[in-house]
Amino acid sequence: MAYALGIDVGSGYSKAVICEDKAIRSYAIAPSGGNYQETARNVAEEVLKKINLTLEDICFTLATGYGAAMVPFANSTATDISCHAAGIHLVFPSVRTLIDIGAQFSKVIRLDDAGRTLSFLLNEKCAGGSGKFLQVIARILHMGIDEIGPRSLASSNPVQFTTGCAVFAESEAVSRIAEGACAEDILAGIHKAMASKIVNLVTRIGLVGACAVTGGGAKDVGLVKTIESELNIEVLTPHDPQITAALGAALLALRMVSLNGGDKESEKRI
Amino acid sequence: MRTEMNQYFAGVDIGSTMTKVVIVNEGLRASVVGPTGPEHRKLADKVMEEALEHAHLAFDDLTYIIATGYGRINVPFADKQITEITCHAKGLHSLLPTARTIIDIGGQDSKGIRIKNGKVIDFVMNDKCAAGTGRFLEIIADALNVPLDALGALSVSAEKVTPIANTCTVFAEQEVVSQLANGEPLASLTAGIHDAVAARICAMVNKLKIEQDVAVTGGGAKNIGLVKALEKRFGFALLVPHEPLLTGALGAALMAKELFQNAWAKGEKLKRSGEGLKEASLFL
Repeated sequence: MAYALGIDVGSGYSKAVICEDKAIRSYAIAPSGGNYQETARNVAEEVLKKINLTLEDICFTLATGYGAAMVPFANSTATDISCHAAGIHLVFPSVRTLIDIGAQFSKVIRLDDAGRTLSFLLNEKCAGGSGKFLQVIARILHMGIDEIGPRSLASSNPVQFTTGCAVFAESEAVSRIAEGACAEDILAGIHKAMASKIVNLVTRIGLVGACAVTGGGAKDVGLVKTIESELNIEVLTPHDPQITAALGAALLALRMVSLNGGDKESEKRI
Repeated sequence: MRTEMNQYFAGVDIGSTMTKVVIVNEGLRASVVGPTGPEHRKLADKVMEEALEHAHLAFDDLTYIIATGYGRINVPFADKQITEITCHAKGLHSLLPTARTIIDIGGQDSKGIRIKNGKVIDFVMNDKCAAGTGRFLEIIADALNVPLDALGALSVSAEKVTPIANTCTVFAEQEVVSQLANGEPLASLTAGIHDAVAARICAMVNKLKIEQDVAVTGGGAKNIGLVKALEKRFGFALLVPHEPLLTGALGAALMAKELFQNAWAKGEKLKRSGEGLKEASLFL
């Protein structure tokens, strides 16, 4: 059987997925850090080791994401938009609208019934709708990023933020804390500010069919719930939402192999 | 009954970063600038007390007081509140009568104001995004470990301008830090960030039908690097008042004087707030 490797080097985390046919055999996630080449190599080694494979067993490696060009052993690269679309289509075939909340960017992708991208919108100019915003707030509240979601859900009186700007919201949060607001209400307010940026993208592209949320942001249950209530729908989240693009890359890699009859563009080594 | 000569009027401008007080009679009598803290009321009292001291006046010597700026509702002793847009127009017109457009660059917002005879005819404003405001420069200066007031001089000494790709303050901060680590000269980076701010402000102000002369006010006007970058973007020279931070407070004081004198001419009496200065202390 043919194994394909998808690697998504994101600005926050790098993810690797090995697929055999249309099934995930192994996956790994590691912080991207400052050296994308090294991270890509490490995360590939880890994902291979988990199922006792070596790179020789992989018929095709496809790299995607912010640092896709930094994966020297990849046979080819693809955009993260098409990888996200392919990945979510395997997990949730009914999804036509995908919201991806990454460390630096959030994006909304419209896909067709075959998992192909129809259109997309990026929020790349502003930290307001990205995971970075959550990190900033987690830092001032002295809590781990994983604590944010459950704490936000416990809020009874969300703080109203006047802007969605991460910089201004940070100082606003500090002032509200000084006035006695609790962390739960701050977080719920931040989730609301973020969700409104993201919902704005969804509204611009048009909400069609089932909607899924992926990326690190999808692991924040407070954010996901807020998006649900702002959109007034239930959204789907994959079991591990961070690996969606890497999964898509592996699936696209398999497709390339079947199109080219298994002929690798070039032999590359880790 | 007082004669007109010893009537004093005050303007208090509570900005997001700085609090300014100006006292006028026939001319400028006192002006004080202090940082805005979390407790606006106490600070307004404190800065006012200082201004009165400079002018050798007591609070009761003030005939009418107007508060302006983002914290204007937090000045209990003010008799009236007027928006900073109106006050900037009034204040700047008295300083630079040829100006038709004002660019005010504050600590947390920036504005473009078109004026005619000291009155506002149109304005644009950004207080929703830190890019294009003083806050952007403050954060980047901090990331580059350059004192904010040294940023301008450093940037005009640059041999080239390093382009900054990111608009967002958060991302631009990461960008300059990694550029610096990659060996990009500090001066070129500071020139780049001033150009980035200038680009944002220019795009915003260009939504107005700009008429020359154009004046720059607010804390941003004290930054020579930013003023030069704006001049380069606009393609013409900009006017900068001698004390660019005081324009709003001066305008408020002049408005106080005008309102009072107009009422007085009609034989009317303006309502006073009745609140005096509290025991002023910066700390609770």
